[in-house]
Amino acid sequence: MTKKLILTAAGLLLFLLAALYAFRHQESMAESAAAPAPSGVVDSSACIAPKEFMKANHMRVLAEWRHSSVREGNRVWVAPDGRKIDKSLNTCLNCHSSNRMFCFNCHMYANVKPNCWNCHISPMEAP
Amino acid sequence: MNEDRRSFIKKAGIGLLAGIGSAAGLFPVLSLEKTVLPAWDEKPVPGKRRWGMLIDTRKCSGNCRECVAACHFTHNVPDFGNRKDEVKWIWKSSYENVFPTASNQFQSPEVTGRPYVALCNHCAEPPCTKACPTEATFRRWDGIVSMDYHRCIGCRFCMAACPYGSRSFNWRDPREGIRLASTEYPTRMQGVVEKCNFCSERLVQGKEPACVEACPEAALVFGDLNDPASEIRKLLESNETMQRKPELGTKPSVFYII
Repeated sequence: MTKKLILTAAGLLLFLLAALYAFRHQESMAESAAAPAPSGVVDSSACIAPKEFMKANHMRVLAEWRHSSVREGNRVWVAPDGRKIDKSLNTCLNCHSSNRMFCFNCHMYANVKPNCWNCHISPMEAP
Repeated sequence: MNEDRRSFIKKAGIGLLAGIGSAAGLFPVLSLEKTVLPAWDEKPVPGKRRWGMLIDTRKCSGNCRECVAACHFTHNVPDFGNRKDEVKWIWKSSYENVFPTASNQFQSPEVTGRPYVALCNHCAEPPCTKACPTEATFRRWDGIVSMDYHRCIGCRFCMAACPYGSRSFNWRDPREGIRLASTEYPTRMQGVVEKCNFCSERLVQGKEPACVEACPEAALVFGDLNDPASEIRKLLESNETMQRKPELGTKPSVFYII
């Protein structure tokens, strides 16, 4: 009986620790998001445009972003739903590199060889 | 008893897994550069700002290479260990190399013996941008002479035009020469020219350039030359300063206190 009790207590403790850790992390994330930094950290958890549009037009979006941010200094893109987004390849990669083959699956199939990864760090090389 | 124990361990295990799972879901996926909205105007007004740097060479100590190391790490500048393939954004050099046309003929040996930090001067009248046939290098709205590596065709006219040797050519694939890579900045590719960008990627985030931040003696001061109230302008007014080859009329944005 005591064995059972000890085991129960240990299991509960472990679960509590895990839950506490997760919760604390969540809390600190919420804090950092709310912190009034001089420049807001951008929420890039949602795609900037519908999937079908991005499938067909991601190269145009990226080329337009590159031109206006590098040459005109206009770094903010306003999505149709009003969200403000940093015009950066990393806006995309901060989510999409969770799948290391994200860019390559399609490009290999279509035999397209973009030269992005000559300089930029590709999802395959990302740490 | 035994069966109870088994079912309990099962349940505890599932609970633990759920806990770990929820924790894992909250971690950011990877450590690429964070996307951050610019710290200032969404559409910059051309000519409103002019970034500049003041180097107090009296504070700069001889063997320190902190600024060079910080810059070259931050920007993934390769090091091949030989002069022919050398790529540099910021470096230290002797008085006669940094100020070959200085008018002071009888400078004290203490002054001529010091090493001097050199980097792109981000000229107000940059000769390099006029030489570039593709407009890959251009003077930005904030006075920074920037490189658009996407456009560079590697003709090296800009290198010939720059009177300060601030530009380097990638004779080899730079990724071979990077020992410790920063994931927060891209590399370049073989066949393009590169140079100091006044940390424009850090300025967007409201940070100072990496070299300024790294200097242990605070010998580097960075600021807006168009703002009369800025620290750099006050220091420029209260100190005698020098520029590199001022007689060429390039109007450098980098100043030196000797």
